[in-house]
Amino acid sequence: MFLAPATGLPPPRTRRPKASASLEDLRRLVAPPHRASAPGRFFSFGLPTVDKLLPRQGLSLDSVHEIHAAAALDLPAALGFLTALLVSLPENGPVFIVTSAQSLASIGRLHGHGLHALGLDPVRLTFVEARKDVDAFWAIEETLRSGAAQIVVGLIAQALDLKKSQRLSLAAREARRPLLLLRPPRAAVASAAETRWRVAAAPARREPSGALAGWRWQVVLERCRNGSTGEFVLEWSHASHRFGLAAALADPALPDSAGLGQSRRA
Amino acid sequence: MRRIVSVWLPRWPILRFLTAQGSAKAVAPDLPFVLTVDASGGPRIAATSPAAEHFGLFIGQTLSDARAKAGGLLQVQALAPDRDAEALRRLTLWATRYTPAAAPWGIENGGDGFFLDITGCAHLFGGEDALLHDLIKRLKSFSFAARCAIAGTPGAAWALSHAARSLPVCLAEGHEKAALRPLPIKALRLGPDSHAALRRLGFKTIGRLIDAPRAPFAARFESELLLRLDQALGVRREALHYLSPPPAYHAQRSFLDPICAQEAVIATAAKLTEQLIPSLRQDGVGIRGFRLDLYRVDGDVRQIEIGLAAPTRDPAHIARLLALKLDGTSHGLEPGFGFDCVGLAVTLAEKTPERQGDLGTLADAETSAEQQARLVDALKQRLGSESVRQLHAIESHIPERAEISQRADGAAPSWPEADADRLRPPLLLPQPEEARVIALIPDGPPRTFYWRGATHMVTSAQGPERIADEWWRSDAPGLTRDYFRLENSAGQRFWLYREGLYGRETAEPRWFVHGFFA
Repeated sequence: MFLAPATGLPPPRTRRPKASASLEDLRRLVAPPHRASAPGRFFSFGLPTVDKLLPRQGLSLDSVHEIHAAAALDLPAALGFLTALLVSLPENGPVFIVTSAQSLASIGRLHGHGLHALGLDPVRLTFVEARKDVDAFWAIEETLRSGAAQIVVGLIAQALDLKKSQRLSLAAREARRPLLLLRPPRAAVASAAETRWRVAAAPARREPSGALAGWRWQVVLERCRNGSTGEFVLEWSHASHRFGLAAALADPALPDSAGLGQSRRA
Repeated sequence: MRRIVSVWLPRWPILRFLTAQGSAKAVAPDLPFVLTVDASGGPRIAATSPAAEHFGLFIGQTLSDARAKAGGLLQVQALAPDRDAEALRRLTLWATRYTPAAAPWGIENGGDGFFLDITGCAHLFGGEDALLHDLIKRLKSFSFAARCAIAGTPGAAWALSHAARSLPVCLAEGHEKAALRPLPIKALRLGPDSHAALRRLGFKTIGRLIDAPRAPFAARFESELLLRLDQALGVRREALHYLSPPPAYHAQRSFLDPICAQEAVIATAAKLTEQLIPSLRQDGVGIRGFRLDLYRVDGDVRQIEIGLAAPTRDPAHIARLLALKLDGTSHGLEPGFGFDCVGLAVTLAEKTPERQGDLGTLADAETSAEQQARLVDALKQRLGSESVRQLHAIESHIPERAEISQRADGAAPSWPEADADRLRPPLLLPQPEEARVIALIPDGPPRTFYWRGATHMVTSAQGPERIADEWWRSDAPGLTRDYFRLENSAGQRFWLYREGLYGRETAEPRWFVHGFFA
């Protein structure tokens, strides 16, 4: 543990430990700097099945979370999950959405009325449109560091390598702002993100009449630093704007309930 | 009282040609040189060089006559009035180093010089005489021989610069009448008709005109005559067409040693902003837009204009925006041999709320709106002014018309409550894409649909939601659309519509994919 994490600052070596130094002093010297300095804020889904996989029972709000689409036509589902997450977070201040020209090209553009229907008020949104991915990365970092946005969302096509990803997570940690990245399918997975989610569409909940009632997504938590991984079907309630866990057994709409709610220890 | 400098550059088209020419097709300045325009009966001379005048060539002469007089020595080029005007504009821009109120002459003034309104700023250059000498010296270094005069009105300054015996003239206040008396009437900027008529009547000097009774002139001449006379005497005020409106706040700094580095320019801009702060604070305003004028040693002027999302008085913010802007431009600063003068003009100032910021809690006092405005400013400098946008709702049922993306300019958009009955998808295709559909009944929901090379089995469908086109928008409204929310076997959710009502609007309705639900 003497090694600083790859993304962190070197441990502060302001003074050498003296023989009389107490155990507490030594611990402070040894602890990774960001954990020692900031307890951090966490968002809990309120669903034990999901929360138990996450460190401290919640999603860290000072770091980068990647949401990957499982297939090209699952991008709307991934965007829906991202939006739902955004709405659930305790912050209700401005949200900056940074897009690069190619990011959503295949499935159109964001529609304010539709985002509103998911619970995200478009008044909060500011869109930053970059022509190139390089500019988009710069804009994300700039937005994070300025502190003006409470939540930053990046919709980037490709080319997020480990180094850029580390840079962004450092910026998020220092600015103490969450950064949610929507990634297309088959995007590179090497990254310094705190969590990585892979989202696919799942059949929606039906009302007894057969009408579509609540959107559902097949969500895989593929990677979670200091946590474990798992797979579940999440449901987003249109009325209350809350996450729920699909009641697998009670619902005949779900084809297969074998993998639901099951968790794999990493 | 105004103080106006009139700078006349005699033979401006010739001068421009001689200074602007490349070495490739050199025009020898010592040999006769004329510029011509095409006229009826062949090209005629429009401008002559001094050497050409020695040969007896004059403006208006046909080119064939001129060739007969000057022989093979004559050099001829076509007159390019647009380029002359543009070169004059650039030179006037250079002259804004003396005062931001600089006006190039239009056709009515001859198009070969410019006015500078130096009211209240001559002392910055050591007085009017010193300013005039500095101006003449610098113009001379560009090899422009200028005739300059200072007077209380543009008309008088123009007259003196054109007709005074000894130059430069720096006319004391209130002496216009006396100074104009001995000058010939052509110094009044009259049209050729009025001028010829006055000559015929025997008026040679402006003094005779001043002494004569006005009424007969008003009756017999164009109004131009008395207007020009009154303007020259300062009875009637003459408006000048400045290059840009003189800014309310302006700071400038000159250097003995020209500066080249981008950092130095930015640091200078920050210092100039600091200079402006007291007056900005006094008026309770902040900078909303500014222009940095960089005067190159070789006479060129680079201008950088930046608009801000919210008023600011922070030099550091100004400096940062400039740095971002300069980093963003591909060619950079282009300093050449350096800039010897830098000016900062506040083009837009706006009232800014006062807040207490001197207690060491500046960062805390900054509101989130202010932070946001700063961020938007910074993003715009690198990504372009159109890059930061917000969505505004528009009252329309047609989905693609129901909102508009506009530049974020500080005003928060207003959105109505979300309508649960008219569910909209979060993603909308910019152009609806046609799909091939199999439906069980003609106006029922699709059973399967084929789109982008794949067939989707529909497991659940909801609809229709009928949206008719807005008939008040055009004479031929589009077809009615029936929208369906569909889910395929993989759980992916689509928004499709059928265009046209069976039988009533079309025999063969078409289907389109328009959006995606989450």
